[in-house]
Amino acid sequence: MPLFAEASGTGTTGTQLDQMMVLALLVLPLIGFALTALVGRRLGGKSWIVAVAVMVVTWIIAMALVYQTLIVGAFGEGGLHFELYRWIEAGDFRVDVDFGVDALTAVMLIVVTTVGMLVHVYSIGYMAHDPGRWRFFAYLNFFMFSMLLLVLADNFLLLFAAWELVGLSSYLLIGFWYRRRSAALAAKKAFIVNRVGDLGFALGIMAIWTTVGTLNYTEVFQLLPEALASGAIEPWMMIGICLLLFAGAVGKSAQFPLHVWLPDAMEGPTPVSALIHAATMVNAGVYLVARANPLFAQAPEALVVVAAVGIFTCLMAATIALTQTDIKRVLAYSTLSQLGYMFAALGTGAFIPAIFHLVTHGFFKGLLFLGSGSVIHAVHEEQDMDRMGGLRRKIRVTHITMLVGSLAIAGIPPLAGFWSKDELLAESFKFGFPWVWAIGVGVSLLTAFYMFRLMGKTFYGPSNVDPHVEPKIHESPPSMTGPLILLAIPSIFIGILLGFPPESGPIHTLLEPVFHGAEETLALPHEPYTVFGLDGILLGVSVAVAVIGMVAGWRLFGFFRLAPRTQTVRTLTDRLRMPYRVSKNKWYFDELNDLLFVRIGGLVARGLWWFDVHVIDGAVNGVAAATQSSGRGLRHIQTGRVQNYALGIAGGLLLMAIGYLVVAR
Amino acid sequence: MSQSLDAYLILSGLLFAIGTFGFLAKRNAIAMLMSIELMLNAVNLAIVAFGAFVPALAGQGAVIALFVMAVAAAEATVGLAIVIAIYRNRRTPLVDEYASMRE
Repeated sequence: MPLFAEASGTGTTGTQLDQMMVLALLVLPLIGFALTALVGRRLGGKSWIVAVAVMVVTWIIAMALVYQTLIVGAFGEGGLHFELYRWIEAGDFRVDVDFGVDALTAVMLIVVTTVGMLVHVYSIGYMAHDPGRWRFFAYLNFFMFSMLLLVLADNFLLLFAAWELVGLSSYLLIGFWYRRRSAALAAKKAFIVNRVGDLGFALGIMAIWTTVGTLNYTEVFQLLPEALASGAIEPWMMIGICLLLFAGAVGKSAQFPLHVWLPDAMEGPTPVSALIHAATMVNAGVYLVARANPLFAQAPEALVVVAAVGIFTCLMAATIALTQTDIKRVLAYSTLSQLGYMFAALGTGAFIPAIFHLVTHGFFKGLLFLGSGSVIHAVHEEQDMDRMGGLRRKIRVTHITMLVGSLAIAGIPPLAGFWSKDELLAESFKFGFPWVWAIGVGVSLLTAFYMFRLMGKTFYGPSNVDPHVEPKIHESPPSMTGPLILLAIPSIFIGILLGFPPESGPIHTLLEPVFHGAEETLALPHEPYTVFGLDGILLGVSVAVAVIGMVAGWRLFGFFRLAPRTQTVRTLTDRLRMPYRVSKNKWYFDELNDLLFVRIGGLVARGLWWFDVHVIDGAVNGVAAATQSSGRGLRHIQTGRVQNYALGIAGGLLLMAIGYLVVAR
Repeated sequence: MSQSLDAYLILSGLLFAIGTFGFLAKRNAIAMLMSIELMLNAVNLAIVAFGAFVPALAGQGAVIALFVMAVAAAEATVGLAIVIAIYRNRRTPLVDEYASMRE
């Protein structure tokens, strides 16, 4: 068992208690899922009780584990690694169910369990009137189990299993209102698009196994670079493995060109969008690339692909978010865009800022989604921002918390998004990717603009709400506003807590052991941070750009007493008709996919169908028909007359005799 | 008694050919049975002749011939019984009417 502990040198198997805590993180949500699924329906209006209680306990245990890992440092730099039991043993193929907790896992645990718990609490209020809420809470617990397994797994196969389990829970929750056709279709779309990426991921795992014969993280991260150094594998194989793993990440984290499922996934209930499609599951791809950093560091060419895909998705999604009118879709495209930032950072080698942004984004995007849920709740399940407006005074808590979230994502100091995004952009510039920085800064203008467009259309200006609904608008219950406030607090403070001073804040100290090797391999420059130098300029530019975007959003769509300029907006959209239509239609990606896969793919499929029917089936049926007709022909020699048969015997005898004579002579 | 084996074999061959022709050409089941007897006896003649002329087979030919006669008698008995049974069923001794095996 302690093979990997020896291999890593610094890892530990921890005490019995540590191992129990890790297992409890997985077992508790699973019990919650089973109980809620079995007896939830009988609990009626209280069906949330088991699920929420379990999540609170899970959160406490997770925090204790995080404390052990990050603050006490009980597991050393290598982290806690232990094996539960041997899962598969077939010849040389051995896979254990083993778990690992290091700084990266601990940081993920903070985001996953905190947002997870708050979303559970929020759902009590949000789903109060839904007859299927027991099912909802069962699925949520199941998702938490899967997601925790994903971050705790210590080998690629277990990670892959968890990867598919979160995909399954995502599918179940997107299609939660399965009677609605659009929800059922969106669930199917998410599942199928993810399969494309997962194919690459599975191939990558197989490639890893065939090259080094193990799937355990510690062993793989040691053996693969060694194999590369000794010339046992070619550099292109390393790049191939990394790109295949990245394909999985592209699917799960909805990056171009597999991003199309995430906006449609907004068909699910809003808490699901907040938890799965903003704060946790979609981060799994970022986590995967970060986890596999020792491999990616050996394949700089693959990292450039990661950076390019990330920054392109970042730009594309931000331009689409500019014109969407569905409040949740704006946030969905914003999520794509922010995930793009993270991948861009990973690609430039700025691993720690990427994870930092993952954390801050998890909080403020979770907050924004839950806030949008509260808005939707207030205006009676209306999601179209053209039918909102002027909600500022009616739902005050939601307004203030969403304003905090918007300022955070826009990158206004000193809120969370500023610290992570600025650090991410500055490091990518210094690591030799000025184009990533330039596009990233451009996108931060768009981000500030579309967020304040959303705020303006929703909370400020005149009301466009349905007159029948207008008098009934009310603030959400405390179970919903509570989580909003609790998420607003980290959205303000977590950036400065983890990220100050810039580029050497606590997040760097904590995550350094995980990424140390990769940073050395890539030979990244580590210059001291200079406020009155390059860093100050980069920081100034990105803040200035964000402020410009924000003020433009205020001017056009209103802000508190500032009235929106609807006329100017209309003139602008008329003037910029082409870009507007492209953005409004999401760069025509759904149409492109329809053309490529439904129409052209359909034609190819029909061609293959023809081939199958006429050539393959034809061959099989042809053999049958030939047998049948030859049988029918041969029937005629079976006359049933004894003497015909006797003639045959006599003829045969004669032939044999003649043959004998010929051969004998 | 001729001193040549060939004469016996030629006679035997002729008898066998006549029997074969009768078996193939006659429509009457009884006549076919008789033809079979003729073929069997042609073979018997050949065997006995070999026994008499080939020193290595001296005395054995007659024994084999006796076996053949015994088998032929049994065959004739069974064959005749079958023919009678079919005749009772079909009211005809002509074999080309017995075509029900075809189906």
